[in-house]
Amino acid sequence: MFKRILIANRGEIALRIIRACRELGIETVAIYSEADRDAAYLRFVDEAYCVGPPASMDSYLKIDRVISVAEIGNVQAIHPGYGFLSENAHFAEICRSCNIEFIGPPHEAMLRLGDKNEARRMAREAGVPTVPGSDGLIDNEEQALKIAHQIGFPVLIKATAGGGGRGMRVASNDLALKSSIQQAQAEAAAAFGNSNVYLEKFIEHPRHVEVQILADQQGNVVHLWERDCTIQRRHQKLLEESPAPFLDDAVRQAMCDAAVRMVKAAGYYNAGTVEFIVDREGNFYFIEVNARIQVEHPVTEMVTGMDLIKSQILIASGNPLSVSQQDIRHTGAAIECRINAEDSRANFVPSPGRIEHLFTPDGPGVRFDSHIYSGYYVSPHYDSLIGKLIVHQPTRREAIHCMVRALEELDIKGIKTTNPVLLDILDHAAFVEGRVDTTFVERTWPG
Amino acid sequence: MSNTSSNAGDIFEIRKIRRLVELMNDHDLSEIDLQHADTRIRLRRRSEPVVVSAPPPAPVASSVPLQDARPSGEATAGPAADDEHVHQITSPMVGTFYTASSPDTPPYVKVGDHVGTDTTVCIVEAMKVFNEIPAGVSGKIIAVLIDNGEPVEYGQPLFKVDTRN
Repeated sequence: MFKRILIANRGEIALRIIRACRELGIETVAIYSEADRDAAYLRFVDEAYCVGPPASMDSYLKIDRVISVAEIGNVQAIHPGYGFLSENAHFAEICRSCNIEFIGPPHEAMLRLGDKNEARRMAREAGVPTVPGSDGLIDNEEQALKIAHQIGFPVLIKATAGGGGRGMRVASNDLALKSSIQQAQAEAAAAFGNSNVYLEKFIEHPRHVEVQILADQQGNVVHLWERDCTIQRRHQKLLEESPAPFLDDAVRQAMCDAAVRMVKAAGYYNAGTVEFIVDREGNFYFIEVNARIQVEHPVTEMVTGMDLIKSQILIASGNPLSVSQQDIRHTGAAIECRINAEDSRANFVPSPGRIEHLFTPDGPGVRFDSHIYSGYYVSPHYDSLIGKLIVHQPTRREAIHCMVRALEELDIKGIKTTNPVLLDILDHAAFVEGRVDTTFVERTWPG
Repeated sequence: MSNTSSNAGDIFEIRKIRRLVELMNDHDLSEIDLQHADTRIRLRRRSEPVVVSAPPPAPVASSVPLQDARPSGEATAGPAADDEHVHQITSPMVGTFYTASSPDTPPYVKVGDHVGTDTTVCIVEAMKVFNEIPAGVSGKIIAVLIDNGEPVEYGQPLFKVDTRN
């Protein structure tokens, strides 16, 4: 077991990892930028080092400084959290070459899965359904047109180096396809340093359902069931829940089994999430693998009773999984709402500033993962996520009531948050009755 | 919590002043008046509004040091030097501080030395790479704030330079 771990992140996930370490009796080293000097969670770590000025690029993303801290802080492992360096295969490789364990997957698996086109190919080989599309990268316009006609318009042009909703364009006819391909290639080159694109059939009205997996270094893989993340705005998730509502059990089981096959095929270990889209007929298609712990991991923790961060640490230190697939039960229903420092009543404009007053919700079945406190300054330099409110109840209906109750209790004064739109969503018949798709939020509350 | 070590014997050293401030906060003192030989420091805490909920913010020097202090060297009574001509050389990286290029060679600089902008003042080692740190200003070294072999973080003060000389 590790004696000491460096948490290479900030905010609520840093606090989450610190909590797991403390419970496991592992010493902690934190990094912080000048903007995070007053972070409350720095009180709980054994050592903390400043790694730069506020901008992430000049602090949290400075690999040399992070590794330096790991060395002078004498750690055996680094937990990268999510975002930042968590899916940076180069960073993972450097860690391990410095004899510091990277708490996450092997960097080779990360590289292969990070190439979306390659991941699709691996999925097909593993018998995991993929969205009909080009069987590789687009070489020229003629080929693109041919494929588009085969699979049928509308089609989606996707950057192979993209992901998380970035680097995608829809084309509904030949003309649009021709111009979109060129634009998509230029954008991809600029954003990801790789202009390669591939085509997929554009699935209209999709649901986003993902499967959580855990794999140890001994080759054992289990799934921890699914999460439905259909409630999104501009590809950013607002709300996640488990189980996926109104999903056929056979489809659920097939999806979870497919996720396990995918992970085994990739030679992956530690925590990960396999993303699918589900169409109106209940067909599911592989999209991508997120090779990290995710923001919404608490949803799975509530319904399975498992601590995913501790599992990550245990796996990284060489322990085999302590559970087998049949031990993993799914109990009740859990919902998570992301609380963002954005004014949802003013087109989600970011709302940094000082939190003058804070009252946090609690009571049976309520969990609030957050690093904020009364007097905390929400900096404009980082992600607007300031907390995650999670509820767990025996049924979805009760979970919805509980979440509404908890959101109404949550009082954050001094900045604006997305609290209002979350209440609107929970109140909407389409959400309650499961008649939503990934465009629901943008259609219902346009800017 | 960083790992600076104090320059022994200088009561106006920032680390010690910070500790005095913490002492005042911990014991709810409103004033401390210390005298040693012909130097004196008096710290007085201004009143703060009561925060009703949640944990207190991290301790930050909240006292107003008075100018009674009669310095033997240069007095800096807050996190930033309040004398305009005293410049702090801070670390541009995370690593281990070394005063000399090797254990057998003399230190790059000592108190009293004159430095130019490009003068190497120390080494900060990170990942087996030894980085020479330039002074960045010209003047006289008046304090060495870190002990040889101590770890330093980004922005950590390493030296004080009197830019008048």
